[in-house]
Amino acid sequence: MKLNIEGLLVYFPYDYIYPEQYSYMLELKRTLDAKGHGVLEMPSGTGKTISLLSLIVAYQREYPLEVTKLIYCSRTVPEIEKVVEELRKLMEFYSKETGEKNNILALALSSRKNLCVHPEILHANIIVYSYHYLLDPKIADLVSKELSKKSVVVFDEAHNIDNVCIDSMSVNITRRTLDRSQANVETLQNTILKIKETDAAKLKEEYRRLVEGLKEANVARETDIYMSNPVLPDEILQEAVPGSIRTAEHFVGFMKRFLEYLKARLRIHHVVQESAPQFLKDIFEKVCIDRKPLRFCAERLRSLLRTLEIADIADFSAITLISNFATLVSTYSKGFTIIIEPFEDRTPTIANPVLHFSCMDPSIAIKPVFERFQSVIITSGTLSPLDIYPRILDFRPVTVASFTMTLARTCLCPLVVGRGNDQVAMTSKFETREDFAVIRNYGNLLLEMSAIVPDGIVAFFTSYTYMENIVASWYEQGILENVQRNKLIFIETPDAAETSMALEKYQEACENGRGAILLSVARGKVSEGIDFVHHFGRAVIMFGVPYVYTQSRILKARLEYLRDQFQIRENDFLTFDAMRHAAQCVGRAIRGKTDYGLMIFADKRYARADKRGKLPRWIQEHLTDGSLNLTIDETVQLSKHFLRQMAQPFRQEDQLGLSLLTLEQLQSEDMLQKIAQIAHQA
Amino acid sequence: MNGKWNDCFLGLKIIQFLIELHLEVDSIKMDEEPERAKRWEGGYERTWEILKEDESGSLKATVEEILFQAKRKRVFESHGQVRLGMMRHLYVVIDTSRTMEDQDLKPNRLTSTLKLVEYFVEEYFDQNPISQVGIITTKNKRAEKLTDLAGNPKKHIDALKKAKDSTCGGEPSLYNSLSLAMQTLKHMPGHSSREVLIIFSSLTTCDPANIYELVKTLKALKIRVSVIGLSAEVRVCTVLTRETGGSYHVILDESHFRELLMFHVKPPPATSSSECSLIRMGFPQHTIASLSDQDAKPSFSQAHLDSTSGGPGLSMGGYFCPQCQAKYTELPVECKVCGLTLVSAPHLARSFHHLFPLEAFQESPLLLHHTERFCEACQGELKDKSVFTCPSCNSVFCVECDLFIHDTLHCCPSCIHSRSAP
Repeated sequence: MKLNIEGLLVYFPYDYIYPEQYSYMLELKRTLDAKGHGVLEMPSGTGKTISLLSLIVAYQREYPLEVTKLIYCSRTVPEIEKVVEELRKLMEFYSKETGEKNNILALALSSRKNLCVHPEILHANIIVYSYHYLLDPKIADLVSKELSKKSVVVFDEAHNIDNVCIDSMSVNITRRTLDRSQANVETLQNTILKIKETDAAKLKEEYRRLVEGLKEANVARETDIYMSNPVLPDEILQEAVPGSIRTAEHFVGFMKRFLEYLKARLRIHHVVQESAPQFLKDIFEKVCIDRKPLRFCAERLRSLLRTLEIADIADFSAITLISNFATLVSTYSKGFTIIIEPFEDRTPTIANPVLHFSCMDPSIAIKPVFERFQSVIITSGTLSPLDIYPRILDFRPVTVASFTMTLARTCLCPLVVGRGNDQVAMTSKFETREDFAVIRNYGNLLLEMSAIVPDGIVAFFTSYTYMENIVASWYEQGILENVQRNKLIFIETPDAAETSMALEKYQEACENGRGAILLSVARGKVSEGIDFVHHFGRAVIMFGVPYVYTQSRILKARLEYLRDQFQIRENDFLTFDAMRHAAQCVGRAIRGKTDYGLMIFADKRYARADKRGKLPRWIQEHLTDGSLNLTIDETVQLSKHFLRQMAQPFRQEDQLGLSLLTLEQLQSEDMLQKIAQIAHQA
Repeated sequence: MNGKWNDCFLGLKIIQFLIELHLEVDSIKMDEEPERAKRWEGGYERTWEILKEDESGSLKATVEEILFQAKRKRVFESHGQVRLGMMRHLYVVIDTSRTMEDQDLKPNRLTSTLKLVEYFVEEYFDQNPISQVGIITTKNKRAEKLTDLAGNPKKHIDALKKAKDSTCGGEPSLYNSLSLAMQTLKHMPGHSSREVLIIFSSLTTCDPANIYELVKTLKALKIRVSVIGLSAEVRVCTVLTRETGGSYHVILDESHFRELLMFHVKPPPATSSSECSLIRMGFPQHTIASLSDQDAKPSFSQAHLDSTSGGPGLSMGGYFCPQCQAKYTELPVECKVCGLTLVSAPHLARSFHHLFPLEAFQESPLLLHHTERFCEACQGELKDKSVFTCPSCNSVFCVECDLFIHDTLHCCPSCIHSRSAP
């Protein structure tokens, strides 16, 4: 159908449209008009992707000078494929409707086997790729730095974007990294020697270039051709590479010294935590390495690798990591912390020293993106509470909106179970974690649900250790045996191969009527990337509130930083983080309007306003007072009723006019008024 | 033609002739109001959520609306001129697994189900006199035949009564039940409609092999599988019914369960590929030898010969097969001796309305009808806000009479009246 969105003609490749899609496009258009950034939350399965694509493509066609490119960032390869599929549909619709040949070029970067090096791809109108191509400074420099300023960047499934930013800037150095770097340095040295014998002029030429400094890059940046790179700070562009590392041999020697120092630092027996300036002071005192050459490390290494014409850069990943670390640690005095741990918390007897150079400020990595592109859209099914993302990513959005799902039937049923039938409170709180009664009640809940929910149930625990403890205890109490009379049980493990095997078997059991339960972990692979449509997930049970492991030093440092820099209280952030993961987990069950599922929050703390209020609006609005603090029996009653209701025939005609609209219905006054209420400005 | 020999082919003429008879038979049998479960026995309901106040804050309008809707609640599926599978071979599979002990139907699922199936069997033969039923139960991963395919309701009902005392246990097996039903059904003639109706309480099934292979076989054999679920929607049933062309429903409560079962009483539309053929039938008359006749001796019914149950089996009169003179006490039946299908004329007439259903009456608001103040049928005053008009004679009826005419009478009394009047 063809839509008129505030004067913009939008081609929408389907005959029907959800009201919230229309509302979403309205908000999106306003964001583009204002040339600002936006944060938009809309439940999954309501057609976010196609709304985004059709509006932005229409905008590009209408105002080709205002918006030249769409950069669509998604998280995983299957998601990228989904986007490409939708895009293909849109393009077909365009050529059918307008009759002209398709003049839009789209490019998807998924894996090396699909790589294309045709020069024309530089002019692609739409680029679809993974977050890392834009956020990770190491990759962004190769892939994304030449993207035009007048681009619209979309981050889909962006609820974890702060963690992606942090990960892309953090460096972990173990003994193994150092050993491999050592080997890398050896190779470099040998290559330099060889080249010196055969082609000394080349090294001289490099030396000359380094004296000139990084002028070229500076010119490029000033003329606004490239996106800035956080690993290549502004100041060093103005200066020449310092003399101490200008010749290749000197640089290699310098790196050797640096490596030795790091090795010495790893030989410790107690935990050390220090800031970047402290680290720099220490390194200067111990091995006389100055701050300035350290800052040029990354650039210098890159230049050297280029000069030596080394083809396979992957071999040199270890030394590249070290040089990046050197640059980062000497550039940023704030926002990073260094933690050296002699062993892992779980295995205090085995020495396994790690140096965490941990980024605490996600805004550092994403800053260039916000600065460079005129519109950045952050969107996901779960972004609540909406105001926290602009704060932790440090940007100022022009639109912040949350959309609810219009439903012809209430297909989601969130329930908060707070007590067992014996009235003992159910919670995963640390103090009562080992409590026998709590574990038994959790077991009873699973047992009762396994008897009434058809096909698949997905249960999430707060961590692997917690899951192990509970499952062991259930086994002793004979609960597992009883559950197995109703359904098969599969367990997620940290091992990816094992987990995908379990998943496959789980789906098979759901498919052929045996029924299955998947026990998994919030923040695990299952909770993030895998959808449990229809019968694969008729109920999701969230055992406990998935707080992050608070004893971790990295997290503590980050919390402190958030408090000092952004005035976000520790507890607020922890709750926010726990709730977004809980929302992600329970959201796995509902992947569209024809789907239905139970969402069971098994912890009394979910009933509290501070937790409940942080759930996405589309879940919150179905969480009434009547579904809070239930006992197991009440839950079973409500669930049975819900499942029977949902099993009644449901056809497309039932949705029409309510949650699914034709063009005429969309244009009616009443509907437009209703649509205006869908978007909820934060 | 010999007076005793009423051997003829199923034809339209006879059916037309017999419609009057059928009217008499059916109108005697008043449909008793379905018994709703007691309020406190029902599930957890949020009745207050349905109520909405009108502008003046009164609830009256919504309450009336709800009552009216409840009366009208039924499916108006007039197929029009569609070929129906009048000759049905149906296996009813009853899940008797552990989950049947659940007490959400009173007194428990098993008793309630068996009671309803009993009623269903009666209705089924009432509406499909030339069809057959068999019953299969499944528990402990096995499937057993409770009764074979047969046209005699009594045998099934006896078996069902007995089954009430059996214990439930283990898991059901869809695969075993279906393959058991399939073994018999696949030998049924091509013109008959082959059906399986599963009453499925459990949420799991324990199968010895891949059930999707079996579904393909069922589809190839044109066996239609329908499922009534007692707890929730199970994926494998969805696929099974979709692939084989059956229906899948899940009950809400006991009265809904009854409704869903009754839905299966009506013959389904025939699949386009099923054969057409003429069926040879016998219409024996009931003869009782007069007491004065000294030669009369009590004789055994053929049907009683192999039955282990039942009374003495000796009787004076009965139906005699027009072809071989074998005696039967009940109809309809397939003659044991010569294989002829024996039915009585009223039986056949009862199937008639399935082929030519009465057209739906037009619903219109009462306000439009100033002249008619009374219902044409019951002569009661028209009070509801909607009335129903027969499209052919333009008579006006109230909701109750509309339901009664379509569900039970199957013909408009006003039309009949005007036709028979001289």
